Amino acid sequence: MKIGFEIHVQLRTRSKLFCTCPTSYWDAEPNTNVCPVCLGLPGSKPYPVNKEAVKKALLVALALGMEVKEKVVFLRKHYFYPDLPSGYQRTSTPLAVNGSLAGVRIREIHVEEDPGRYEPREGLVDFNRSGVPLIEIVTEPDMESIDEAERFLRALHQLLTYLGVVLNPSVVFRIDANISLSGGERVEIKNINTIEGVRKALSYEVIRQKRLLEAGKKVTRETRHWDDARGVTVSLRVKETEEDYRYMPDPDIPPLVITSDMIEEARRALPELPWEREERYVSMGIDRTKAHALVVEKELADFFEEKLGEIDPKFWADFLADRLRGELNYRSLLFRDVEDKKEDIFLIARAWFEGRITKEMAVGLLRKLLDGESINVEEEVRKGVAVDVEDVVREVIGDLPEVVKDYRSGKKNAINRLVGEVMKRTKGRADARRVKELLVSLLEDNNT
Amino acid sequence: MMEFVEKLRSGELLPSEHVQEILEKIEELDRRLNAFITVDAEGALRRARELDRLVREGRANGLLFGLAVAVKDNIAVEGLRLTCASKMLESYVSPFSATVVERVVEQGGIIVGKTNMDEFACGSSGETSYFGPTRNPWDEERVPGGSSSGSAVAVAAGMADIALGSDTGGSIRNPAAFTGVYGLKPTYNLVSRYGLVDLAMSLDTIGPLSPDAEGLALVMEAVSGPDGKDAGVRRKLNFLAALSSFDPEKVRVGWGEGFLEGAEDPIKRHFERFLNVLDSVGAEVVELKVPPMEKVWPLYYLIMYPEFASAMQRYTGLTYGHRAEGNDIYEAIARARGEALGKEVKRRIVLGTYLSMEKYERSFHELGIRLRRGLTAEIKRIFDKVDFLASPTTPFLPFRLGERVEDPVKMYASDSLTVLANLTGIPAVNVPFGREGKLPVGMQLMGRWFEDDRLVALANVLGGEG
Repeated sequence: MKIGFEIHVQLRTRSKLFCTCPTSYWDAEPNTNVCPVCLGLPGSKPYPVNKEAVKKALLVALALGMEVKEKVVFLRKHYFYPDLPSGYQRTSTPLAVNGSLAGVRIREIHVEEDPGRYEPREGLVDFNRSGVPLIEIVTEPDMESIDEAERFLRALHQLLTYLGVVLNPSVVFRIDANISLSGGERVEIKNINTIEGVRKALSYEVIRQKRLLEAGKKVTRETRHWDDARGVTVSLRVKETEEDYRYMPDPDIPPLVITSDMIEEARRALPELPWEREERYVSMGIDRTKAHALVVEKELADFFEEKLGEIDPKFWADFLADRLRGELNYRSLLFRDVEDKKEDIFLIARAWFEGRITKEMAVGLLRKLLDGESINVEEEVRKGVAVDVEDVVREVIGDLPEVVKDYRSGKKNAINRLVGEVMKRTKGRADARRVKELLVSLLEDNNT
Repeated sequence: MMEFVEKLRSGELLPSEHVQEILEKIEELDRRLNAFITVDAEGALRRARELDRLVREGRANGLLFGLAVAVKDNIAVEGLRLTCASKMLESYVSPFSATVVERVVEQGGIIVGKTNMDEFACGSSGETSYFGPTRNPWDEERVPGGSSSGSAVAVAAGMADIALGSDTGGSIRNPAAFTGVYGLKPTYNLVSRYGLVDLAMSLDTIGPLSPDAEGLALVMEAVSGPDGKDAGVRRKLNFLAALSSFDPEKVRVGWGEGFLEGAEDPIKRHFERFLNVLDSVGAEVVELKVPPMEKVWPLYYLIMYPEFASAMQRYTGLTYGHRAEGNDIYEAIARARGEALGKEVKRRIVLGTYLSMEKYERSFHELGIRLRRGLTAEIKRIFDKVDFLASPTTPFLPFRLGERVEDPVKMYASDSLTVLANLTGIPAVNVPFGREGKLPVGMQLMGRWFEDDRLVALANVLGGEG
């Protein structure tokens, strides 16, 4: 099995690729972010290409370790469709070639403009999206299983988020997948919007193609459409009816010359990449698996670093990587879905770390928070501290001199009796590990 | 023209009086000549009265102050129809103005109307307009040339002081020659094309038509130069300074037999006379080997057709323009185009589509691009030896209406001497040069890239010499 992708990513720029209209197509009234250029009105011409889009595309190219081309030409790709106001889409020759990510070779990246959005049922078109800058990332057909394909897409998703190049976080990419099984020809599946969708579409396609091959039939080269609602792929066109796009250089756009200065500037603007961040965490003494789990989501890693001065790094890493991610996974949530609750999450972690609440209380609070219950975390944590653990510890040391004596004379197990007594007196609201630490530190100090 | 602008600025002739006269002239002549598709009498008078007020307040400024300007109907003027002389855009009103139009207005020009043309600029005779042919004012049975037919006729017949046209293969110079006016095709990328409806984007230019060379200089001074809406335009020239400093005794003008291939006898005779006049003003005239135009000219079609087919993709009737119904969008598009585009436009779309199809390895269009590079290099070498090139503008005189319109090969021959400038990007000007009977004759001068200012200055020196 060989799988490859063509992945479209809308670039985060303020204005469109060839005009000054805003790119925020998703939260504007239909056909309000438009002008003669992105509507393709008679006489309109593309303005000079948006430099910010080129810069963002270069960031991706560099992060993927690609060779950047010196000269990029914008081509016209011709076809008729209601969302394409000029009857052609502007798409560039490769901006960069030969990169790799997660063991998959990246063939090329080029820059394109997005068409508008057409609703065939109502016959309506919204041109707000028309002209939004895109990059298309083309991979080699290097993935040999659906798992591998998914791993690649997750890595790419992570990278794009780190680079800060994604325009609309709810539509990070649009994917065309191609898949061929041995004995069959290459089939392209268009219109997949999520990684889960890719998994479903490829699984469907594998079964469909296997059945054909097992029945002694041929899998012919064709383009299919992924119908997410029905969970099936549908044939769009076969090779013989492939459209002829009549690509030609767009005479209205002077070729884009990528100078070494532009590349250097992009290189300087390159943020720390996920794998670099992971290494840094490991060098801080954090477990490799925890470090890896932390960097998966940039927002989570950012949160980790934001609070480093206020809490023990290892405890904090464990809390986020195991406890929090575990609870998130259980709820099919990402950290960015609950990012607005991050201060409460931190309160819980710190109270636990400081022994002001028990592990059980911490987990209970975290679950309530993630389940969307309206709780006042600050209040709850304060209730947990109804007993001052240290006071109780000192009290117990004073009340049980025999046990203290046993401990000091070398019977280290005696500590457990002291812990048990503290737990009893605090009615289990103290954290046993923390209590033990406190006891040890107080007992080792001979002044007590 | 400069003197006339001074008269308007000083208030000796009020802009509103002048515009009134122009509108009366249009009223009187245009029923027969059919140079205008839209006359904006109301807008022109309103603007003229504003200018009157500036005169009274002593604030009359602008290179084109008070001049009546006609604009070819493939150049956008906000609030006016932009028909391209096609049924497809018969009632389409442009919501914005071309950069050149904004600049003309900033300099005090008054837009009086939109002029007739060959449909989508496809033609060399002014006959393919959906709104009917334009007639030549010197002989109404003959064509005025094209495709900027209405712009040339408006200037020739005094229905406008100056006009804007567009030139892709000769569309300014050809009708300028046929109607006896000056017409400049500027260097490619000297004038912003923002707002010009495309014919062939790598060849299209916007330029002026005027009864004298000064008018060309004034318009170019006003409209040329960088524009944030056209990525290609980066340079600006000083046309007025060149007019006063130009010395014809220091220039070499070249010509060659290749420029006369296919030219009819009367044209050849006038051209000989033209070379003599060049010599008499002090220019050094040299004969040299030039590429034969009959070989160059077909190359134009390899480039123009595919670009035109590409440019025409947007006319589907779905969002604007002539709309048709269909069982699906493709049928609706096909019907709209079938119903609303003329024969020559369709011919070019079909040929252009064919020439750019990938299944033919894009060989024809790419061949055109390659050959064009070679031709440009050759012209560059020629300009190492001479400052200007001279040729007739057209190989023949204005012909009768209907005489060539059914035979594209004969029609296309009209452009055989003009396409060189478009293919290589150099500036070229038509200089009216005497008459054959009552019919005007035009001679062409071509210059180096971005030496349009000197080219217009040379044309100015020759003014009236014909």
